[in-house]
Amino acid sequence: MSTTELNDARFVVDATDLSRFHSGSDAPIWWGIVGLVLIEMSVVAAFVISYFYLLMSNPQWPPADYPVPELMLPTVSLVLLLISCVTMYMAGKTLNKGQVTAFVLYTVASVALACVVLVIRWQQFQNFEFSLDQHVYGSLVWTISGFHFLHVVSAAIGTAVVAILGMMGFFSSTQRIGVVVDTLYWNFVALAWIPFYLILYWVPRITHTAGG
Amino acid sequence: MQSTATYDHDPASTQLLSRTWESPPGVLNWFTHVNHRQIGYRFVVTSLVFFALAGVLALIMRLQLISPENTLLGPDLYNQLFTMHGTTMMFFFAVPAMEGLGIYLAPLMIGTRDMSFPRLNAFGYYVYLIAGIALYTSLFLGMAPAAGWFSYVPLANIAFSEGRGMDFWTTMITFIEISALAAAVELIVTILKQRAPGMTLSRMPLFVWAILVMSFMIVFAMPTVMAGSVLLALDRAFFTQFFVAAGGGDPLLWQHLFWFFGHPEVYIIMVPALGIISSIIATFTQRPIFGYTALVLSLVATGFVSFGLWVHHMFTTGLPHLGLSFFTAASAMIAIPTGVQVFCWIASLWGARIRFATPMLFILGFFAIFVIGGLTGVMVASIPFDSQVHDSYFVVAHLHYVLIGGAVFPFFAGLYYWYPKMTGRLMSERLGRWSFALIFIGTNLTFFPMHQLGFEGMPRRVYTYLADMGWQDLNFAITLAAFVLGTGFLLTLINAVISRSRGDLAGSNPWQAETLEWATTSPPQNYNFRHLPVVSSRTPLWDQPDADRLECVAGLRADRRELLVTTLLEARPQSVLIMPNPSIWPFLLSLAVGFGFLGFMFEPWLFVVGFALSFFMIVGWLWPKKPWLDGEQSYDQSHNQS
Amino acid sequence: MHPRSCGCVECVAVAGMETVNQFIGRMLTNRINPVHQISHAGLWLVLLCALSSGALAQLPTDTSMSQSALHPASSQAQDIELLWWIMFWASVIIFTAVMALLAWGLLSGRRRPSVLSSTASMRFVLVAGVAIPALVLSALVGGSLMLGRSIASTPPPDALQVRVTGWMWWWEIEYLDDNGEVVATTANEMHVPVDRPVAVELASGDVIHSFWVPRLQGKTDMVPGKTNNSWFTATETGEFRGQCAEFCGLQHALMAFVVVAQPESTFTDWLQRQASPANTPTTEAAQHGLEIFEQNCGQCHRIRGTNAIGSLGPDLTHLASRSTLAAATLPNRRGHLAGWISDPQRIKPGNNMPRTLLSPQELNHLLIFLDSLD
Repeated sequence: MSTTELNDARFVVDATDLSRFHSGSDAPIWWGIVGLVLIEMSVVAAFVISYFYLLMSNPQWPPADYPVPELMLPTVSLVLLLISCVTMYMAGKTLNKGQVTAFVLYTVASVALACVVLVIRWQQFQNFEFSLDQHVYGSLVWTISGFHFLHVVSAAIGTAVVAILGMMGFFSSTQRIGVVVDTLYWNFVALAWIPFYLILYWVPRITHTAGG
Repeated sequence: MQSTATYDHDPASTQLLSRTWESPPGVLNWFTHVNHRQIGYRFVVTSLVFFALAGVLALIMRLQLISPENTLLGPDLYNQLFTMHGTTMMFFFAVPAMEGLGIYLAPLMIGTRDMSFPRLNAFGYYVYLIAGIALYTSLFLGMAPAAGWFSYVPLANIAFSEGRGMDFWTTMITFIEISALAAAVELIVTILKQRAPGMTLSRMPLFVWAILVMSFMIVFAMPTVMAGSVLLALDRAFFTQFFVAAGGGDPLLWQHLFWFFGHPEVYIIMVPALGIISSIIATFTQRPIFGYTALVLSLVATGFVSFGLWVHHMFTTGLPHLGLSFFTAASAMIAIPTGVQVFCWIASLWGARIRFATPMLFILGFFAIFVIGGLTGVMVASIPFDSQVHDSYFVVAHLHYVLIGGAVFPFFAGLYYWYPKMTGRLMSERLGRWSFALIFIGTNLTFFPMHQLGFEGMPRRVYTYLADMGWQDLNFAITLAAFVLGTGFLLTLINAVISRSRGDLAGSNPWQAETLEWATTSPPQNYNFRHLPVVSSRTPLWDQPDADRLECVAGLRADRRELLVTTLLEARPQSVLIMPNPSIWPFLLSLAVGFGFLGFMFEPWLFVVGFALSFFMIVGWLWPKKPWLDGEQSYDQSHNQS
Repeated sequence: MHPRSCGCVECVAVAGMETVNQFIGRMLTNRINPVHQISHAGLWLVLLCALSSGALAQLPTDTSMSQSALHPASSQAQDIELLWWIMFWASVIIFTAVMALLAWGLLSGRRRPSVLSSTASMRFVLVAGVAIPALVLSALVGGSLMLGRSIASTPPPDALQVRVTGWMWWWEIEYLDDNGEVVATTANEMHVPVDRPVAVELASGDVIHSFWVPRLQGKTDMVPGKTNNSWFTATETGEFRGQCAEFCGLQHALMAFVVVAQPESTFTDWLQRQASPANTPTTEAAQHGLEIFEQNCGQCHRIRGTNAIGSLGPDLTHLASRSTLAAATLPNRRGHLAGWISDPQRIKPGNNMPRTLLSPQELNHLLIFLDSLD
């Protein structure tokens, strides 16, 4: 029975033909993931501010006998993560146009990039010359690196599931909100690396030369 | 359009609609419920259980302090008790109680059928329950945390608190923040995206505004304490040096992280209470509240300014006076939005014919008690004055006046006010008046003398005191008064229990209120509203008292769970959201996450196991069931979508 | 069955309850004006509380143990007390005014309901809720900050320098000369010259403690890894009690100390005494007591001039000169000292001093020795 058949003046809104699909900010889940990103950004802010607080409480940073961190591998990680944002963006674009195969390839590429980053990070962890329990500098480096590492893992797993579902034919140009929110989270994890990268790898170089 | 689809505007679809939105009965099915009313109700009831537990702990503490050098409790047990009292009240009663009211009422007040993420809602509740059970288990095993609810380091760190107690604290706090954050995000999204058509932001009930502000505050404040407690957990488990001076860390960092959360926390508790007050005053004066815009702006201002006060908990730590001064000014400044609200309410009451039922009595009690607490609050904003009364019983008096006056009184008012909506029966007025009188008198007799004790030099958190300090008379009187207070609370709890079967039947709108939650039965049907309402003012039910004649929405399916998504500001209909059916995954995920956090305390690698288990639960939760949509609206009833 | 005039507890309680019930009943059937009654009762209650607090504050307490911020004995504490009374009376006025406005508002609807016009309401909120609070708060904040600045200022150059280090659960007190060198060490009892500024350097050896002598000054925390400073000038002689004001574990409750303000010459004599090593024992019993001390107590306690050089616990070189024991928990008398030494865990469960099992003669000789340490 459609509303036109109803003779009831109370019904001033007809939702019958409203879309049951969502593609972005019209979806509550989109706002939910934005909420999650805000929460995580607050955690990132707490860590960054704590880093600077502790830096200012210490006469030397890095502390005596601690090496200045090398830049190459972390910068490679940063670049790979930024590229993965582009591949995720392309995944979304191709899905919008209904090109499911391309979409799957782009998501798999993103996951692969993340895995490379994880391998690089793992290498870095093996090569850390300081422990996490001798000085707060080491504690910070380990904790912040580990925190971000875990988030890259979770983003990679989530996107891998998205890729699998894509391969199974679940996503389409109308049914794509899952991809949109996964991309949101992915972008956050990748971009959160920027402040961490700066404080872990650039700030000590600056304070090291300044303090001597 | 499929011929099998049934819509809720079809008058014959009532039974089907009811079945669609049903929370299945049965003990095992209890763990699958996702409806916001079930979850909100559970939050409220569970929070009251914790309130009672924390209250009993307080009474036991008072018995220890009834006489000098008493030996009822030794220092270890006393320290565990006051830690548990504070932790329970702040984390397990106050915030969940307000959240529970929000979860139950906000969807009803904005005219929708459920919240945006029902399974997340349920998950948040189970996380809360598991955290509370774990924490109290630690108490019954005699290994509760004993470094205060604020867990200052270095005392709370591994060097000085070697037992499991502090590990319970760090893990359970992190765990329960997940619950609060989940509820907060959900409340924000629901309120912003699911309001009834026509309910612009300026037509939203003030309680909904308060819940919205509270939720934003939770989103920005709680992550800080999570970060802090993670760092503390790492210091304790892996000997990181975040808070250890010898390793370049700083004990004061903990205080900053904790209080950056801790101060907004008390406003997180108070802001919803302010919303309750507006709701009740409007109803019990039977006219719109004065100063809607000023009240909204005050709520928002309170939310913002509360983030700039935290250092006033650290006035005695030796930070430079100039920096501290900023926080004196900010802490005094926050009295202004609060004052604006108080006077808007007085203006609203002015000249009205007031119904002095129990909810209103508690509101009047709020005025007296909260204003006293607010005045002592402005006093302790003064650094020199605070240097004398900080960490003394004066502050204990202040904090209880503002929390009991500013949160418990409005919350109890809200209980009496909305109990009929939740249960279909009114609470006993007689018991309510007795309860109010005992609580009001008990609060004053218990806490007012504590101001004096503070001036006589009695510090906080002391398990005993010497006989020749001269503190015993006041302590004796306070202990007796505490039992009066406890009796008052007990009467309301008894009232709540017996009125379920013995209370007068309430009907949909026993208070003749104006907001949408009263536009449906008491308790509401499974589907909340037979037809989702459309509004055109702040007082829909005063414009149209007959709920069946409200303008409403047609075109939502009756054979699957659907609700309307509207635009952010204007609340114009935008799309329809298909909602999940009852599901066991939230409960399973809470077990997995709980396993990870609790396991971490014993063997850190168990956290990894928990992480992996959680992954599987999340996949199970989110995995779409076939048939999948191919562009046509061809779901069957068992479909789940993320 | 109780007779009508029975005065037993039960009957009194029942009679009380019935009276209250009747009162409430009459209130709700409008035979008495509830708002009037409640607001009057409320006002009386508050005034009563306020006045009784004020009265109680004036009650003389045992001054030797007085820990009251409202009995100042220094210029700083005096200023803070004045600030308190200003704020107190301002609060009484504000509270009364707000309650009166509330009562008036509630009352004005009893006979003829009316609505305040929107302009009147707006004016009301702006004046009462914004303008007046802004003025009052500005005055308060301004006054506080001025007082706070003077209290936080650097002490005058002639100040006596003392370093106090908080430990779980006792106070290490070191007197410093102009170069910052330690001239005398004692524990749990601090003497200061009256009318001369005393600059206290505050440190902690383990967890956060807080140095608080209410009659002399507000509290300042002792944070590990940080040195904090406070100063005060005692304006009267006497004994002032202080207590740790930051929760520091099991025996936080009984971590107190005594500050004695003395005339300058008396203080100088005392300080000289504290700086010197312990008296050598003059009797055999005392000598035996010294040996017992070195054997049983020397790992934790130091008595300068002997072989007892432990630094885990308080310096006991001049124990007999102190008026209290165990961080101002017990009076310094023989019986208490005996009990403390034998079983400190009974008096302060969880503190760091173990039980010492001695024979009666050993204990007696130890006490004789300790009694000689003035």
